[in-house]
Amino acid sequence: MKNKVIAAAVSICTLFSLSACGTTTTNDDSTTTAANNGGDAAVTTAADNGDADNGDASAETVTLTLWGAEEDQALLADLVEGFKAQYPDQTFDIKIGVESESTAKDTVLTDITAAADVFAFANDQLNDLVAAGALLDLNGEVSQVLPAYTGSTLDEILAKNSEGSVAACQKDGSTYAFPMGGGNNYFLYYDSTKVSEEQAQTWEGLLKAANDSGTKVGMTYASGWYNASFFLGAGFIADMNEDGTTVIDWNGTSADGYTGIDVVKGMSAIATDSGFMAIADGDISNQIASGALCAVVSGTWDAGAAQEAFGDGYAATKLPTYTCAGDQVQMSCFSGFKLMGVNAYSKNTGWAVLLAEYLTNEASQTARFEARQLAPTNLNAAEADAVKSNIAIAASAAQDVYGSVQNVGGKYWDPTATFGQMIANGELASADDAAIQSALDTMVEGVCAPVE
Amino acid sequence: MGKVTGTVVRAAQVVKEFFADFGRAVAKGDLFVKLTPILWGAGYLRRRQFVKAIIMTVMEALVIWFTFGFAMDYVPKFNTLGTVKAEQVFNMKTMQAEWNDYDHSFMILLFSLFSFVVWFAAAIVLMLNTVNVYKLQQDAQSGRHINTFVEDIKEYFDKKFHITLLTLPVLGVVIFTLIPILLLIAVAFTNYDQQHMPPTNLFTWVGFDNFVSLFSGTVTSSFGYAFVRILIWTIIWSFFATLTTYFGGIIMSLALNSKRTRLPKLWRTMLVITIAVPQFVSLLLMRNFFANNGIMNTMCAAIGLTDFLREIGLISTSYIPFLSSPGWAHVTIILINIWIGIPYQMLISTGILMNLPHDQIESARMDGANAFQIFVHITMPYMLQVTGPALVTDFIKNFNNFNVIYLLTQSVYVTTDQLMANSQAKEVDLLVTWLFTLTQDYYNYKMASVIGIMVFIVCSAFSLIAFNYMLKGDKEATYQ
Repeated sequence: MKNKVIAAAVSICTLFSLSACGTTTTNDDSTTTAANNGGDAAVTTAADNGDADNGDASAETVTLTLWGAEEDQALLADLVEGFKAQYPDQTFDIKIGVESESTAKDTVLTDITAAADVFAFANDQLNDLVAAGALLDLNGEVSQVLPAYTGSTLDEILAKNSEGSVAACQKDGSTYAFPMGGGNNYFLYYDSTKVSEEQAQTWEGLLKAANDSGTKVGMTYASGWYNASFFLGAGFIADMNEDGTTVIDWNGTSADGYTGIDVVKGMSAIATDSGFMAIADGDISNQIASGALCAVVSGTWDAGAAQEAFGDGYAATKLPTYTCAGDQVQMSCFSGFKLMGVNAYSKNTGWAVLLAEYLTNEASQTARFEARQLAPTNLNAAEADAVKSNIAIAASAAQDVYGSVQNVGGKYWDPTATFGQMIANGELASADDAAIQSALDTMVEGVCAPVE
Repeated sequence: MGKVTGTVVRAAQVVKEFFADFGRAVAKGDLFVKLTPILWGAGYLRRRQFVKAIIMTVMEALVIWFTFGFAMDYVPKFNTLGTVKAEQVFNMKTMQAEWNDYDHSFMILLFSLFSFVVWFAAAIVLMLNTVNVYKLQQDAQSGRHINTFVEDIKEYFDKKFHITLLTLPVLGVVIFTLIPILLLIAVAFTNYDQQHMPPTNLFTWVGFDNFVSLFSGTVTSSFGYAFVRILIWTIIWSFFATLTTYFGGIIMSLALNSKRTRLPKLWRTMLVITIAVPQFVSLLLMRNFFANNGIMNTMCAAIGLTDFLREIGLISTSYIPFLSSPGWAHVTIILINIWIGIPYQMLISTGILMNLPHDQIESARMDGANAFQIFVHITMPYMLQVTGPALVTDFIKNFNNFNVIYLLTQSVYVTTDQLMANSQAKEVDLLVTWLFTLTQDYYNYKMASVIGIMVFIVCSAFSLIAFNYMLKGDKEATYQ
């Protein structure tokens, strides 16, 4: 109730200020338009405001809801103030809610029409969100608001970001989000007092260093997100069909000429080494903190934990190579990005798009890096010295060179996690080729199953 | 079973009589009674019960308004669950999106079911009324007193007070229980899943397809394979979880009740502390204790237990997979459940044991019975007699014991059974946790509904049989 009273008061105030503004701007257009290119539209309606209901549509307060991560709340509040200042002719009532980027999909899909107008999410949720029609197609008619208000077209805005991050926002030729941050992949943290820089380049070196120092090298095998790095590195693919089914060819022969069996044997050799520790997906931070590791595969979110555990030896680099059919093969990874999308069922679609754009522009990304250490996808912001000298972000960027954007469906996860767990348990280490092949076949069949 | 059949027969009888009464009223009533099914107030008007006539007319108007103002937007689409997909157009002037008048399959399903319930209720009211009005006609013809409205109202606080009392609960049951259950059942016959999620997509009826896939199994759609295994584990789990805590609790409270136990209050308090700590906290801690690289494993490795187990071939890993491999995880979960379940059961048993017939125990002891004999022949039968129904509900509760299983295994347990993985199941899943994963992570509402129906069938069958058996005859006599 209180909110409504305030909102009403605010809108009455703005009604007066707008009409006041309108009378002056009719004489002097240039001052307002200088502030932002989109001024024209707002100003014209503001001028109309003199005759009662005609200007109601834009004089009405635009209500938007914005969802962001817990740790982003203060930052978002600041950025939203900046957004309001950018469009002073329009009154906004923007509510900020807490919704982690990693769980946004679950909450949004529970009831799309009740979800926030603008929300942050991790790019692995894009497929499901698009399939459910939850994300607004930014290439649609709504794209005309961008040149009208920001002065740049959608393509121009996207071009300011790294290629990989833009690819992560697109599906079947349409754009569904703005890239907000990157570095959401995984790479190698190591303790340089126990592992030399050269040893960190190969699994052999890492495991030897671990055995020598009585510590372990940790990695999550039982997750399709991590164990794909072996297969993708050997030239296999993981992709999606238009009908939402996943395609993987891991039971065949890759473009680089390796077979799935070769990769499994390489993974098994690592898993059965005494210097290796298979870590459960949710347990990585705990294990880093336990001090039992000299190196671990994880992402920027564990930078703090790794820094604390490794102390002066704290170092990070791209993922190592592993032995596959006698060759050293560079591990790949799924590149991950944080995106900002607009709810397809938003009422104030136009303003929601502008808000999402504003929250992901260069200045906002720089602010986000300073507040949260999230790697910018904006090319200018990423060039900043502070970004480049960040050990974890630099390693993440070095690994991204070998990464590919994650584009798999829901059926991908359980079979691949099970497969990784089987290797981690050593179940496939002693198996003959036929047994490995049949396990690979079962996994591929499960992953490629029709979606229901 | 005889009791159940009896109930069904009796219910059928009541329905039959109800229809017979209505038929008689329409056939033998005067013009106004005959008119009542069409104009609800007619019969009352004739008997000069004006207030009732007005109320019934208003109700009829409401039902008609509900039908044409609301229900007809949805019910006609019930057979297809909608055909118009959502489309939007952006209006640059208002900066807003404009939508077409699209169909929302879920709303159609929900509001249609709601309308059916309303209409059903309206039909009953209509028939009851007609019967009532006919009774009034008979009363009038034989010159008996006809109640005024005030007298009628008074009756609801006097002779018919039970009806007044029950109205609200019955309404609550219909709205909050009956309609959701109908909805759940209906969804099981649709293709409501990730590919068909409203509002963007439509879903529709598919008949028994989902039931067929639950009971059949291929490599890619292995629901049949997973369902059987999960059902078996669910039953094993409920059985052990219920019995271990039940007997554990009784033994614990017997020990605490024993005269030789010192400081019983201290021990009891310490046990009850496990209840005071929120379950999800203690369970998540347990999950970390028993993790592959957790404290428990570190200790076992330090004392050489891990190596010993590896040597005798019980494990092949460098750690003991307490919560990460089938068999081990099953046992660990049941053991942890004993730890958190016993204190509750102990509290319940303590109260009952206080009321044990002491004279019987005394005389048994004088006749030379030892403690074990007393326990088997007096204490246990008495306990079973009193706690039997609670035991059945405990079993059902464990059947759906989401907390323990989910908190102990989520994101720690990864199945190595590829066919299980292909249907998003794990060996340690209960039907209810599997259902949760399917809805929460995979939006597979149709299969979740089918599983929900299965859970309902198993639970109700078990309760019916168990209660029937337990409440049959006079158990007290056999015990005496």
